[in-house]
Amino acid sequence: MKKHIPFAIGSPALIWQVLFFYLPLVILIFSSFLGGERTTGWGHFTLDNFKPLLKPSYLGIMFSSLILAISTATICLCIAYPLAYFIAFSAKRFKTLLLFLLVVPFWTNFLLHVSAWFFVLERGGFLNNLLLNLGLIKEPIHLLNSWFAVALMMIYYYLPFMVLPIYSALERFDKRLVEASLDLGANFRQTFLGVILPLTMPAVTVGLFLVFIPAFGEFIIPEVMGGDKFFFVGNVVTQYILGETTVALGAAFTLLSCLFLLASCSGLYYGLKLFKKLLIRRYT
Amino acid sequence: MKRLLVALTYLFLYVPIVVLIVFSFNSKSFPAPWDSFTFHWYHELFHSKDLWVAFSNSLVIALTSTFISLTMSVLLIFFRASGGKVGKFLALYYGNLIIPETVLAVGLLGYFTMLNIPLGMPTLIAAHTVLGLGFVIPVLYSRYVSLDPRLVEASLDLGASPLQTFFKITLPLLRPSMIATGLLIFIISFDDFILSYFCAGSNIQTLSLYLLAVIRSGLSPVVNALSAVLFLFSCGLVMLFFSPKIRSRIF
Repeated sequence: MKKHIPFAIGSPALIWQVLFFYLPLVILIFSSFLGGERTTGWGHFTLDNFKPLLKPSYLGIMFSSLILAISTATICLCIAYPLAYFIAFSAKRFKTLLLFLLVVPFWTNFLLHVSAWFFVLERGGFLNNLLLNLGLIKEPIHLLNSWFAVALMMIYYYLPFMVLPIYSALERFDKRLVEASLDLGANFRQTFLGVILPLTMPAVTVGLFLVFIPAFGEFIIPEVMGGDKFFFVGNVVTQYILGETTVALGAAFTLLSCLFLLASCSGLYYGLKLFKKLLIRRYT
Repeated sequence: MKRLLVALTYLFLYVPIVVLIVFSFNSKSFPAPWDSFTFHWYHELFHSKDLWVAFSNSLVIALTSTFISLTMSVLLIFFRASGGKVGKFLALYYGNLIIPETVLAVGLLGYFTMLNIPLGMPTLIAAHTVLGLGFVIPVLYSRYVSLDPRLVEASLDLGASPLQTFFKITLPLLRPSMIATGLLIFIISFDDFILSYFCAGSNIQTLSLYLLAVIRSGLSPVVNALSAVLFLFSCGLVMLFFSPKIRSRIF
């Protein structure tokens, strides 16, 4: 088309993105360096907000978030890969049904799942009643407010995020490669580690990040299922930011945890790259 | 063996939901075991005023933000179709994938407070639209780039104006992916919790915030009934998303 139309027509999407995505983040970064009375003016540049955060307890919170996010992502991967493999290669006529059943929880309100598990795990809840009636336990056990409940809920909620990218990679996977590898005398283990896994590694990476990043900032699952006993980055951010006097501290903590997340993400990324390289070197 | 493991995974995914739905028909309230069948809680659900206010708020926010992000994306595509260059701007939207939603929400809260914008419906719509743009723009743009350019050339050769070509050729070709991503961002906004938690302020409640309040104050069978209804709603949307046949009959 020859006639040039003004940039203004295409710009709203860009302006919106800058106005409500980048500007808030820039201001968040700035406000973590601001000190003084926030009500009277702009304050001045300071590093004071970061000082209290350099205590080991805050670092410990970041590490426990990291461990929670990594363990969630790893366990999800261990469940998701075989499941995606089964759906893509051996489910046959149940394929659509299995996929459908996987996507529906993904599209339902997250708090609905939380309340469902709450209902199942409560002291007088479904699981305790079931175990009591089966005679496996004599007293109702405390299932809520524990690491177990938090981890269970995390895995439950994030599982579809991991299965879907891996499934779509396996679905597009050229099955002749597997046949060729088997024909040439490799056993299944060698074929899987040397052919299938390296070729689906990009999807595994996507899945890991789709779980890892939100799991790192998760705050409502630990709060509801852990009964305020466990503190993760998300919980601290929420408390500080919504508090009256701790907003600057909250901004500083958010910034620090973002940097921490960025560092662990790049670590994860290069680790996965290295792993793929090693696999290929080992099996070719 | 393989099948057993798959079946166990699906049991893990569905037992809580099924239990929740079954107990929404239980005549006795929560800690009690199964008593007898009733529709009582559904009756109560449809008469709960707070819930319907929250539901309609969520619906309005999701519809508006879906509409705004789709419109802005189409405008951007139109600009690209008329010879504008947008390739390098696309990188702007990758940020949405890397930044955790909690951080964006915290940033938006500070931003709105600093500018003295009262929290409420407009701030929620602004926030959810950003969330939607992150999905719509990359998808629609890559779909647009993969379209056959000869179709547009043919239309122009045959005497259609650029505007006519855009509305009669390009847009209809983009429609399936517009509907699919539209459904996706609608449900993302409708179910969104994190952004709503920070940007809603104290005088507006969305469905997610209502659910959280109920869970915190102890479960009631009305929540089970609500969950059942929402679950069916999601099933419907997923069918719409995945079945072009159903979709083409409705749209």
